[in-house]
Order: sequence, then C-alpha cells, then structure tokens
Amino acid sequence: MTRSPRLAGAGAVVRRRLLVALPVLAATSVGMFALGAASPVDPAKQYAGAAAFTASEENLAQLRANWGVDDPLPVQYLRWIGNLVQGDLGWSTSRHEPVASVLAARAGWTLLLIGVALALVLIASLLLGALAAYRRGGLFDSALRAAAYAVQSMPVFWLGLAAIAVFALALGWMPAGGLTDVTATSTSWSDVAHHLILPVGVLAVSQAPWFVLFVRDAVAESMRDDHVLAARARGLPGRTVLFGHALRTALLPFLTLVGTHLPELVGGAVLVETVFSLPGLGAVTVAAALGSDFPLLAAITLITTAVVLAANLATDLAYAAADPRVRLDG
Amino acid sequence: MTTTESVPAEASPRAAASQPLLAVDGLGVEFRLRDARVHAVSDLSLTVRTGELLAIVGESGCGKSVLAHALLGLLPGNATTTGHALLHHPGADPVDLVTCGQRQLARRVRGRRVGLVPQSPATALNPVRTGRRLLAETLRAHGRDRADADQLAVDVGLDPADLDRYPHELSGGMAQRLVTALALAPDPSLLIADEPTTGLDRPLVDHTLDLLRRRCDNGAAVVLITHDLAAARRVADTVAVMYASRIVEHRDTDQLFTAPAHPYASALLDALPDRAFRPVPGDPPMLTALPPACAFAPRCPRRTDTCADRPQSTPVTGGGTVACHHPIPTGATT
Amino acid sequence: MADLAARPPLLRVARSRLRLRPGRAGAVVAGLILLVAIVGSLLAPLLWPLDQSAVALDQTRMAPSWTHLAGTDDLGRDVAHRTVYGLRVSLLVGAVAALVATVLGGVVGGIAGTLGGRVDRILMRIVDTIAAMPHLLLGIFIVAMLRPSLGAVIASVGLTHWLSTARIVRSELLSLRTRPFIDAAISGGAGRFRVLTRHLLPHVLPRLALATTLMIPHAVWHETALSFLGLGLPPHLASLGNMINDGQGSLLTGAWWASLAPGAVIVVVTLAIAVLAARWRDRLDPRVRAELHL
Repeated sequence: MTRSPRLAGAGAVVRRRLLVALPVLAATSVGMFALGAASPVDPAKQYAGAAAFTASEENLAQLRANWGVDDPLPVQYLRWIGNLVQGDLGWSTSRHEPVASVLAARAGWTLLLIGVALALVLIASLLLGALAAYRRGGLFDSALRAAAYAVQSMPVFWLGLAAIAVFALALGWMPAGGLTDVTATSTSWSDVAHHLILPVGVLAVSQAPWFVLFVRDAVAESMRDDHVLAARARGLPGRTVLFGHALRTALLPFLTLVGTHLPELVGGAVLVETVFSLPGLGAVTVAAALGSDFPLLAAITLITTAVVLAANLATDLAYAAADPRVRLDG
Repeated sequence: MTTTESVPAEASPRAAASQPLLAVDGLGVEFRLRDARVHAVSDLSLTVRTGELLAIVGESGCGKSVLAHALLGLLPGNATTTGHALLHHPGADPVDLVTCGQRQLARRVRGRRVGLVPQSPATALNPVRTGRRLLAETLRAHGRDRADADQLAVDVGLDPADLDRYPHELSGGMAQRLVTALALAPDPSLLIADEPTTGLDRPLVDHTLDLLRRRCDNGAAVVLITHDLAAARRVADTVAVMYASRIVEHRDTDQLFTAPAHPYASALLDALPDRAFRPVPGDPPMLTALPPACAFAPRCPRRTDTCADRPQSTPVTGGGTVACHHPIPTGATT
Repeated sequence: MADLAARPPLLRVARSRLRLRPGRAGAVVAGLILLVAIVGSLLAPLLWPLDQSAVALDQTRMAPSWTHLAGTDDLGRDVAHRTVYGLRVSLLVGAVAALVATVLGGVVGGIAGTLGGRVDRILMRIVDTIAAMPHLLLGIFIVAMLRPSLGAVIASVGLTHWLSTARIVRSELLSLRTRPFIDAAISGGAGRFRVLTRHLLPHVLPRLALATTLMIPHAVWHETALSFLGLGLPPHLASLGNMINDGQGSLLTGAWWASLAPGAVIVVVTLAIAVLAARWRDRLDPRVRAELHL
C-alpha cells in the first residue's frame, strides 16, 4: 500500500493540536481548581474522615499545614498542577489511597466496557444503517428508525434497570450485577464475560441510535451521489454498490464524528457501571463526588478529557489516511 | 396520458435495414416536489436500431439527462416514469426498462446491455478509489479480465499510467476519458453517452466521437446526448431535437442539417458560429410550468393561433418526424 | 463549436434532509402530551397535594392496581402520585438549566459570531476542547464541589450544555454577516449595536428558542442521571431520577413497577418534545424545501 505518504504531515498536525489543547486544558484545570477551592468542604476534616469529630484542633491544624491548604490559592494550584504533570496525581481523600493506584485498579474495567460496547455499536450501526438506507422508506428502514428514536429517548440507567428486570430477574439468563459470581473464589474469564454481557449490551444499545441514524442518513444521501449512481449504471452488484461505494464514502465524516461522540460514551459507562455494580471508574467517581474528593475527581475528569482529545486526534489522522483528497501537510 | 402513434425514424440509410434495439413509446417522467410537479420527459417516442448512432440535442434543462437516467432506472424516489421502453436482445425476450424492476435492471440490463457515460465526470468517480481499481472492479463484475484495463484506457485516449491516480488528481478531460472507459468496460450493446466530450480539446473530442462511431459500425448502438451540434453532425445517423421535455424533430442527420423542419431546430442551427451565429431569442419555459400549447410558440417566428393546441408528431417527407403546426417546408427529398 | 448553454449540474432532485419527519397527527399528539404534562405538573399542588416525606409502611411494594395506578414503592408511597411531582421538578430544573445554558452559549456564540477573527478562533477552540470533556463527569465534578442541591444541579447542567448553543449562534451570525442586507445596513450608517439588535437578533432568536427547547430533554436526562447517582436533588424529594434510583432496590425484590412509571414519563415527554421541535425546525429551515436543477 502507498498510504504512508498521506500521513507525512501527521507530526505537524499533532503539534498544532497540542498547541491548542494544552492551554485550554490548563485553563480548565484552573477553573476546576477554583471550583474546588470554593467548595465548602474542609479537606483536612475530610482526610481525617470519621476521626475528624474526635480530633483536636491542633491535629487538624497540623494536617492543614502538611497539606498546605492554608497557603495562598495560586501556590496551591501550582503545587497541584506541578505534581500532576510529574505524574503525582495526589491522594484520594475518599478512598484513602493514592489517586494513581485507584485509577490503575479501576480504569481497565471501564476501558473494557467502553471498548467492547463501541466495537459492537460500530459494527451494528454500519450494517443496520446501510441496510436501512439501501431500502430507504421500506419496512426495515421504518422499524429501525422508530426503534432508534424510541431508544434514544430512554435514559441509559432506566434501560439498564429494564434489562436487569427482564434478562436477570424474569428470565434468569444473566447475572444482575457485579463482575463475578458471589460464590466464586477466583476470577475466571468466562465468568467475567458472562457478567459483562448485559452491561456491554445496555451501553451499546443506548449509544447505538445516534450512530445508526447517522449511518442510515449518510448512506441514504450517498446513494444519490453521482458516483454511486454511476457505479449502479455500470451494473455492479448491489452489495458492491452499497458497501464498496455508498458506505465507503459516507463513512469518511463518520470517522471524525465517532471521536466527538466519545464523551457521551464515557458518561453512559459511568451510569451503566453504577446500575450493574461494576468495579470501574464509575463507582469510585460517584463515591468521590459524595465525599467531595477533589484530587480524584479532578484527575479522572482531566485524564478522561486528555484521552478523548487523543482519540479525536487519532480519528482525524485516520480520516486523512482514508481519504486521498485530504492532505495533512497542506 | 394520450399515446400518439409512434413513427419510427427509418430515415438512416446506414441503419435502415437493421433490427430495432430500443423502442421507446410514450415515455413520461414526472418529479413530485413539495409544491410543484416537474415534467422532465413528456410522451417521448423513438427507436434506436443496432448500428445506429442517435444524437439527442437540445438546450440545457430540456430533459435529456433525465431521459438517460429513466432508461437505466436510476431516478430518485420522487420520480414517476410512465410509458414503455422495450429493449431487444438477440436470443432473449425483450425487456421493458420502465416496468421490469430494479432487480432485473441491476442483474441483466445495466452495464452489459445498456451502458452510461455519465454527465459531469468530476463527481461521477468514487473519490477514494483509483481509476484502475474502478475499472478492474467493473471488468470483474462482468466476467472480463482485469488486465483489459490498460487496453480500455488506450482506447479512450488515456495514458494507462494515469489509471493509478485518484480522481481528484485527474484533469477534467482525463476524468471524462476515464468515465468513458468505465462505461465501455462491460462492452454494452447500447451505450448512452451523456455529454461525453466535455472538457476535451478538439483532437480528443474527435477521437472520442470516432470511437463511438466505430462501436456502431461494429454492431452496437449509441445514444449521444449533447448540446454540441457539430459533434452530432460529425457522427450521428439520426438526430432528435429535444425541447421542453419533448422531441420536436427526429430525422436523418444530413436532412436535418440541410433543411430543418421545426422552427426550433432551425433556430438552433442559426446559432452555430459558421451560420448566422444568432442565439435563439427568448428563454425556454420552466419544466414546472409547461403550457398546454406548443412550448416553443412564445419564441417562434411562425406561430399562429393554432399553436395554442399542442402539435403532434407527424411524418415528414423524406422520413423522420416533426411536431409542429407550421413546419418549414423541407423542399424536395434527396 | 456551439455551446447552447453553460453546463448544467447533473440531475439533482432535492434530497430531502433526512431526519425525524413527524406528520401533522404526530405533532398534535405530541402537543397534547406536552400540554397535559405541563398543565398537570403546574396544577398538581392544587389538585393532588403531596406530602414529600410521608410514608405508609403498611402499604409497601404493592403492585399496580386501581387504587395505586403505578404501584407503591419500598416506603409505601404511591408511585403515580410521586411521578407527577417528579415530572414537575424535572421539567422545572430542566427548563431553568436549559435557560442558563442558552444564555451562556448565546453570550459566547454571540461574541464569537459578531467579532469574528481571532476572538472567534480562540473561543471556538475553547468550545471544542471543553466538548471533549465527558459532560457527565464534569457535571458530577461541579455538583460534588458545590454539594448536591437544586442550585448545584442547575449549575451543573447549565455549565455543561452551553456548547452546542454557542456553536449554533456563532455559525448563524457568521452566515448572516455575509448577507447583503447586513452590508446594506452597515453602509447605511447603522452602528454595530443597532445592526446587532435590529438585524441580527431577530434572525438568531428563533433558532436560539429552538435550541433551548431541544435542550430541555438533555437537561432533564442530566438532572435525572445526577439524581440517580445520588448526586442530585435531596433523596426524599420526589424527582424522576431519585425515584428510578429508589426503584433499583425495589427491582431486586421483585417490585419492577417502582421505576417503570418515572422512566416511562421521561421517555414520553422527551419524544413529545423531539417531535414538536422537529416540526418547528422544518418550518424554520427553508433549506429543507425542494430545489431542482435539471
């Protein structure tokens, strides 16, 4: 393949994006820090936890001094962001362990959930959307669109509860939550997979409408493109016209849109994890929020944003690789 | 829809003896829009014989391209096609292109029996595929060797090395030759070429026209849709002049160019640079608001009160048809 | 060579813009549903007063019946009754939060769209980057820092949902700037403020109103999601999210109906708003009208 020259300007694009993203991320972190500083919660008391009620003022003052919470805010901010940049994410006050080890233990499950759900959504939406567009206005098209609009208006956590009610409680096919059987002594992959079917399915179904409708509309429009009409006029088989020509060109904008839709997927994952009691980032985020755990919340939010930005960049580069008309160095 | 008796154009000496390949009878195409109906093709009848090169000429927006898409069943969902278009094929039952359905068209008609050189080649090429991949794909779909791609490129006057470029890297003329090669790849018995010489310089125009002529001489048929009268004159056996969704005159090329019968055909010829070089006065009517009268009457120097009735196609001495109440006398037949 | 006319574009019969296309009947039904929802939740305290903290421990987890249309929950409270109040709270929070987001987005988009140039570029880059923040996480962060409360929920929704409005207002203003009548007004001596209020605002306001309406369902979801996570409105308050959260416990004990009604109400109201907004948008957008070149 002669694709590599097309990515020749990738380095410049990455640099340009970083130049934009870093200042905005820094500004966001200032905003978040300001919000955290305005929070009525005393970090020292929080750190002490239940002990705060019995601790003496002296002890608390000692804690404050250790944490530097009485320093001027700019100093505190610089210390926090400096540590963050050096990889020290801070101490989680709600879980009483370093933020980094919380993330290390939890992020994998969330990534797995999002990754598998995204793969499912992409495959299903490409197939279903393209088929609906091919027989536009037909029975399948109408049914699919109606279903998509209906599912789109269902909150994901409600969908999750409905799935538990039907598949776990009424039918008994799947476990209602958790990652392994309560009786299990070790983690086996098949057990985990069995437990993940419902959460992944619910997340995928709840995210699918947007993707399905987009593919369907894009392909339906693409089916009237001159070059697709020309492909049909050449007598190419329907499958080739649909997947090789109409879908292929309709997909180019889809690539970048997948990147911009990732934040939705993250939010959905948090809710699904809560519904199914999965040990991912969702549960710790909620616990951290209840405990006003600034370091953990800020780290999760900022890191997720950075990951999404990186994914956006990756999809844009993929777009450039897939479309010969786009030149990165231009 | 009223059907007029179709009078086949049996004028061409070159094609007179051969079999009818395509017989269009009372074809109508109508688009429904939110607040209007567009009559793009009205009550159109014509016959194309094997070995015949028929040129359809007319101003932009008269419905020529819609006719091409209608014959291939490529019109969008808001179009209604009426009438008949029988496609004959040796050793098989004739197929009615209007009623046979998408499946038949896709499996048996498009590409192999009826090919199309689409208009505006720049948009008719898949932007993410090279010419070679498109050609190979088309050849394979019709059971031909993909190695024929180079020969096809040479046939249309394209350097085979240019097949490895992406469409956006081709000039307008190169793209035009590529879409012609793509249409020729299945070797269709009837080729509809919609403005196939756009963007080509004079030698390549002649090259392409001669290529089409050779196809007819070898037993295929070509419908050349063009607004280039010189091109029509150079290669066509018969010429059909289209105006406001109807064919107003359909005659042997030489006869039409020496003695046009319809005032519109005559006005078109007067617009040629080597003749009076005088544009047709006035503007063509909107296809959304076609009058029940003769559509050309407002621009016609010969109109009278009878032109309030739409003229029917009638035979002309010397062969062919004209739809006019006051045709220009064509004089003695040759 | 006789070119009879400039080359026409290939047959391109108007592609209808593809999206939800409700008919008149659908719009009427949606309108009625919304009317009932709004009037009902406004009049509820008069017609069917509710003691938010009342419990009836002798009537817990009763299945739907004529006395309890949607059943009762873990604490014996009537689900249908609380759903009405939940909808009232959710619509109120959703509408206020959507308004906050609209004002915020309108200001940012308005500045970017009227000033253009470098200001526009910088503001839009900021918008793009914030759009990459999962807004539920950001919303959780905001609520956590402000402590869960009505105000925090509204701030959380408002601060995370203004991006699309800013983009709409900006692009609308930028496209208006290129129209001749704006040039005419400026060359006629109209000041920047006058052009903005007399010429630009009347064009932008309908779109802004549409964007606000379309945002209400999003705001309702966001509010219910926060409440569902226990980070939204106070737990004793009947809100749709709180009720679905409570219902999660009941569900495992077999009382599936506890979160059915509140969820169904969200779905129905959301669909109704979407249908009405789609009709509205069709009216607003003349580009949907067919155009034809042959």
